[in-house]
Amino acid sequence: MKNVKNTGKMQNAARRDTSATWRHIFASLRPYAAHVVISVLLSAASVVLMLLIPIKIGSVIDLLLGEGKVDFDAVVPILFLILGMAAATGVATWISGILNNRVAYGITRDLRREVFGHIQTLPLSYIDRHPTGELVSRMIADADRFSDGLLLGFTQLFTGILTIIGTFVFMLTINVWITLAVAVLTPLSIFAAKFISSHTYSMFRRQSETRGEMTAFVEEMVAGQKTVKYFVREDKTLSEFDEINERLTECSVSAIFYSSLTNPATRFINAVVYAAVTLTGALFVIAGGVTPGMLTSLLSYANQFAKPFNEISGVITEFQGALASASRLYSLLDEPAEEKEGERVLADASGDVAFSHVRFSYSPERPLIRDVCIDVKHGQHIALVGPTGCGKTTLINLLLRFYDVTDGKITVDGEDIRGLTRHSLRASYGMVLQDTWIKTGTVRENIKLGHPDATDEEMISAAKAAHADGFIRQLPHGYDTVLGEGGEVLSQGQRQLLSISRIMLSTPPILILDEATSSIDTRTEADISRAFTKMMAGRTAFIVAHRLSTIRGSDLILVMKDGDIIEQGTHSELLARGGFYSHLWESQFAGA
Amino acid sequence: MKYVFKYLKGYMRESVLGPVFKLLEATFELFVPLIVAEIVDVGIKNGDRGHIVRMALLMVAFGVIGLSCTVAAQYFAAKASVGCTSKLRHALFERIGRLDCTTLDGVGSSTMVTRLTSDMNQVETGLNLTLRLLLRSPFVVFGAAVMAFTIDSHAALVFVATIPLLSVVVFGIMLISMPLYKKVQASLDRVLLASRENLTGVRVLRAFGREEDERAEFDARTGSLFSAQSFVGAISALLNPITYIMINAAAVVLVYVGALRVDAGIIEMGEVIALYNYMSQILVELIKLANLIINITRAVASANRIGAIIDLPVEENGTALPAADSEYAVEFDHVSLRYKNGGADAIYDVSFRVRKGETVGIIGGTGSGKTSLVNLIPAFYPATGGVVSVFGHDVKTLDRAELRRRVAVVPQGAQLFSGSIRDNLLWGDENAGEEALLDAVRVSQSKDVVDSKEGGLDERVERGGVNFSGGQRQRLTIARALVSRADILILDDSSSALDFATDAALRSAIASLSPKPTVFVVSQRTSSIMHADMIVVLDGGVCVGVGTHEELLKRCSVYREIHESQIREGATA
Repeated sequence: MKNVKNTGKMQNAARRDTSATWRHIFASLRPYAAHVVISVLLSAASVVLMLLIPIKIGSVIDLLLGEGKVDFDAVVPILFLILGMAAATGVATWISGILNNRVAYGITRDLRREVFGHIQTLPLSYIDRHPTGELVSRMIADADRFSDGLLLGFTQLFTGILTIIGTFVFMLTINVWITLAVAVLTPLSIFAAKFISSHTYSMFRRQSETRGEMTAFVEEMVAGQKTVKYFVREDKTLSEFDEINERLTECSVSAIFYSSLTNPATRFINAVVYAAVTLTGALFVIAGGVTPGMLTSLLSYANQFAKPFNEISGVITEFQGALASASRLYSLLDEPAEEKEGERVLADASGDVAFSHVRFSYSPERPLIRDVCIDVKHGQHIALVGPTGCGKTTLINLLLRFYDVTDGKITVDGEDIRGLTRHSLRASYGMVLQDTWIKTGTVRENIKLGHPDATDEEMISAAKAAHADGFIRQLPHGYDTVLGEGGEVLSQGQRQLLSISRIMLSTPPILILDEATSSIDTRTEADISRAFTKMMAGRTAFIVAHRLSTIRGSDLILVMKDGDIIEQGTHSELLARGGFYSHLWESQFAGA
Repeated sequence: MKYVFKYLKGYMRESVLGPVFKLLEATFELFVPLIVAEIVDVGIKNGDRGHIVRMALLMVAFGVIGLSCTVAAQYFAAKASVGCTSKLRHALFERIGRLDCTTLDGVGSSTMVTRLTSDMNQVETGLNLTLRLLLRSPFVVFGAAVMAFTIDSHAALVFVATIPLLSVVVFGIMLISMPLYKKVQASLDRVLLASRENLTGVRVLRAFGREEDERAEFDARTGSLFSAQSFVGAISALLNPITYIMINAAAVVLVYVGALRVDAGIIEMGEVIALYNYMSQILVELIKLANLIINITRAVASANRIGAIIDLPVEENGTALPAADSEYAVEFDHVSLRYKNGGADAIYDVSFRVRKGETVGIIGGTGSGKTSLVNLIPAFYPATGGVVSVFGHDVKTLDRAELRRRVAVVPQGAQLFSGSIRDNLLWGDENAGEEALLDAVRVSQSKDVVDSKEGGLDERVERGGVNFSGGQRQRLTIARALVSRADILILDDSSSALDFATDAALRSAIASLSPKPTVFVVSQRTSSIMHADMIVVLDGGVCVGVGTHEELLKRCSVYREIHESQIREGATA
């Protein structure tokens, strides 16, 4: 009983979901309503004209009675009429094609923009929870599938159905019995196609599974080609490859062969229909009531009748996929945006930051930060220390309002940050993270990221201050070198120097620094540490420390463990206390 | 393309029979309008019902024959195209395995994977369609024209005029729109990149308050994608209407000419119907042909991309075998190395000699040439100056496989392959026994790794070894190298994720191996190499010091600087 009720509920929910999707779809279509209406009218007109032409041709043929019996006064006007109808059909088809394209591409563009714009307002909690690939695929693939399947599908469906009805009606006007023969026999070809595709499904699945296996193997081995060489495994790897290749070959032959039977099968059935029409038509001609010209028209129709059926059955599967894509897109758009921001603009902050009784958790059942109180005065340097997962990164998320505190408050210059505009709050921070993000573009664009209006002189002096000018000048095109996808590859240390340059250019009063790890060589590291020192002078700084030696001079060290600040004080105070910090300190020492 | 033909030769029978059967089917299809004409001009005219039934049955019979011909054709085409692609895939994979490292670096693994997968699929599809349709479509088009001539040469002239005109339009539109579609694709890629980067850089972008600029940039990119799509869309949308108008105009002319000929008593009504039917066949086939040509162009491009890799030269090989009685395991004699596209030498004029069984430390900053140096030993890259000798022979003259069996490398970025731990260890030596594997596990300090796993040596390793931690992976890759019991063992910064105690235990376990291999340890930490018999200090590819720890502290300022920076860091701690 209970189960039944649940399924019922789920169906209701699904139905609600679908109707919500449709409402969204109509809303997206509204700006293109005129396009759609005109396109529908034009394609209706072209379908009717297109179907009339065989009848006209038939009527001309009936005038070709034999030697000296052709009535050219009757023939020529009809021929001109056909020419006019064909021209009108062509123009109508072209215009409606252009309109359909505009609608499809336009809606894709609008949706992408809407989704992209919405993503800019989504809370980071949403973005962090969803893999980049998934969101990108919604914006690109789902938007395409939606417009292809739904809009182009719609026009195909519309013209298809209209063609079927029109053909049927025109055939009926010629002869009822022949029409019935065609109407009964033609669907056979659709069944044949369905039958073949459902029976080849398992072969296709096996083929795509084996293909997947092949791709996985190839990706792994080609990426590890050097390791293959180190161990002289070339022959062994090749024989493993051959084993998969052989299986792939075997199942591909059957998948391709059986699936390629669809065309001949439907063509054969069409040939039978054609023969049936010829036979019955010819017999009716002898019996009277049908002329040879009408037979010609019927044969044209018989030839075309199967086409819309096949198209429609393809459209329907695509339609379902498109609807699923649409609902994925709209559900993303329905995600609530970040909580409202404050209205006050933080200008020229001095850099006093305070946490008072801050609590925070990513999910309610697992509290992460419990009751943190810190008071940081302008110009102080605060170091955050503790094992991985202790909540250091979370504090940064809270400072920048990437996430909001669950309880308590964070103030900058005495103002609750929830009362400030996000823009002005974030503009007061400079952030250098361990893994520097590079935007595809030139070095110049990357340094000016936070300050696009800066002059080149300002940019170069910032890069000099960050000790980045030296390596930038050695790049192939200096400041115009393209970085990122398809561009120059920088080392981790160089990227970090670049992000310090960004900060040097925008000179925010508060800094957040995630220290470099040890994989950087000694010399770059020396540059980075000099750049850090210069950058931090006179600014409030939060430093996430990985190595303790660099933070000894901090004004305050916060030792975090499991979301709590378990110790705080200066280096010497903490050592004297002999607690967790001094233990960490010694363990590191013991290592060397 | 030449490779496609080469491997297609193995399927000569199939690739001839496929098109032949296809043409047979097309021939039968071409006779159908003649039968209809016969029915109209003979059966109907004479009121001969028996004749009509016979003719209709003949049409069905032609249909059956056509069906069996196509089934045969599809089978041969599938067999030939899949078989040929399979051989091509084998050839490509084999060639990739035999490329030298310089070439591998230049080509890059992702494009090789694309060529082995999606390019291969393109070739397969293109080949299959080619065998089925390339001959059929032109055959039907010209066949229809020929049939028209058999009916009436005057009327057939309409075909002669229409076919080239239609071809020009169909192929012209294709030719114009193809490069435009490429532009659309490039434009879409830019939209894709903008979406992805906006998400990967979300923290930085929001910290700098760039949301609005990002939106504006995205709007510009989607806007230009829209214009590109609309433009090419409008051109392709021309294809159907124009050909439709042309074919109907041709039909009108044809019927008019037919009417003149009927009036002159040269042909009959049924023959005009047949002419009209032939005209309709042409258009369908021309459009099929145009689509086929797009497919073939893609397949040819893919085939050429595949061929370009197969054409790459294989790694050079020597024939000499390492000498057993050489005093020195490895000798560098004024060795320089410049990578193919590198501006400067990665290694410049380095000389040192290592006796059998010695341990050598290699140290220097990032980019100082440490990895380049050790990669010269198993001849992964050829020295561009000087001579690298292993066991008394220039490595260039040695048989590469034999050389590499004597040199085991633990590369940076410990890479494991999917399979079991055992499968991975067997890479070192396919015939290693259980005892040998466990020994290697013990020496590499990975006993606790194996023991901690439920399956022991048979524990599953996911692709890339993601179900093991960095330190565990490193130790297992060391074990893999130890299994080979090679004479020379190279550890390329492969203990970076190990703690000091494990690192020390590993070093002493390796030192106690018997027979003791010659060991190269590459590291950034002086603590990992200070006990080595000999330390090579590299700075910018130049060897700035060779000696023991104590000697170098006295003599070599770079070494001293590195050592002191690390000691200070630890000691002040």
